[in-house]
Amino acid sequence: MTTIRGCNLPEDLYYLVEKHVWAKPVGEGVIRVGITAVAAKLSGGKLAALTVKAKNIGVEVPQSKSIATIESSKFVGPVPAPLTGILLRANDKLATDPNIAVSDPYGEGWVAEMKASNWEGEMGNLKTGAEGVAAYQAKLEADNISCG
Amino acid sequence: MADDKVMIIMTSGPDTPRRCATPFFFASLAAAMEYDVTMFFTIDGTLLLKKGMAETVFPKAGGKPVSGFIQDALDADVKFLACTASTELHDLQPSDLIDGVKMVGGASMWQLAEECKTVLTF
Repeated sequence: MTTIRGCNLPEDLYYLVEKHVWAKPVGEGVIRVGITAVAAKLSGGKLAALTVKAKNIGVEVPQSKSIATIESSKFVGPVPAPLTGILLRANDKLATDPNIAVSDPYGEGWVAEMKASNWEGEMGNLKTGAEGVAAYQAKLEADNISCG
Repeated sequence: MADDKVMIIMTSGPDTPRRCATPFFFASLAAAMEYDVTMFFTIDGTLLLKKGMAETVFPKAGGKPVSGFIQDALDADVKFLACTASTELHDLQPSDLIDGVKMVGGASMWQLAEECKTVLTF
């Protein structure tokens, strides 16, 4: 576990740093995606809803386009797709408790699974490993964000 | 993933502060869902676009002013249209309104409504 400015940022994930979302291959071309601890912090920390757009299930969503929405009393905003791919399924647990995306954003609180359309080609846009965490740290410092 | 169009018609104004947050919140939410969102302001809704007015309207005492909800919607690329006749109703000039508002006649509202998948009125 790597903690940067109070934010838990594991090295084994692929981050779309600008959008505060992560991706992780889980086998057979399927990529699990979710929000980062930073997104959880920026959304106000207590969510009213995290809703995957049902109409998008089975549809190809381009990288950075919205796959879901986050609502809190302070914030409303999109969850952008970290990669281009077909949206396979949403994490049903979020419907009953959206706050698992805050308390466990990389585990139980994942948002959706996607079938990558061009994972090899898009991997270059994502940041991972120690370098990825360093890139994320630079973003947090530039924007003066901390999760404490 | 097509950019479906939706419209929110806003008729509530400073006299009913509690009706003045949710329409903007719903607009921002729709934009986050990749809808192409327009808010059409008429009757008292147009008053919220008067420079300085929304800063003084609080849907919840001690909470965020309507200007904050308006800014969130503008930041999410929600388009703002104001009904020309409603500015006359309130003796407003187009220059009295905040930046980013386009003035249109009622016929534009009808045409847009026809193009939209969903129209909500507040």
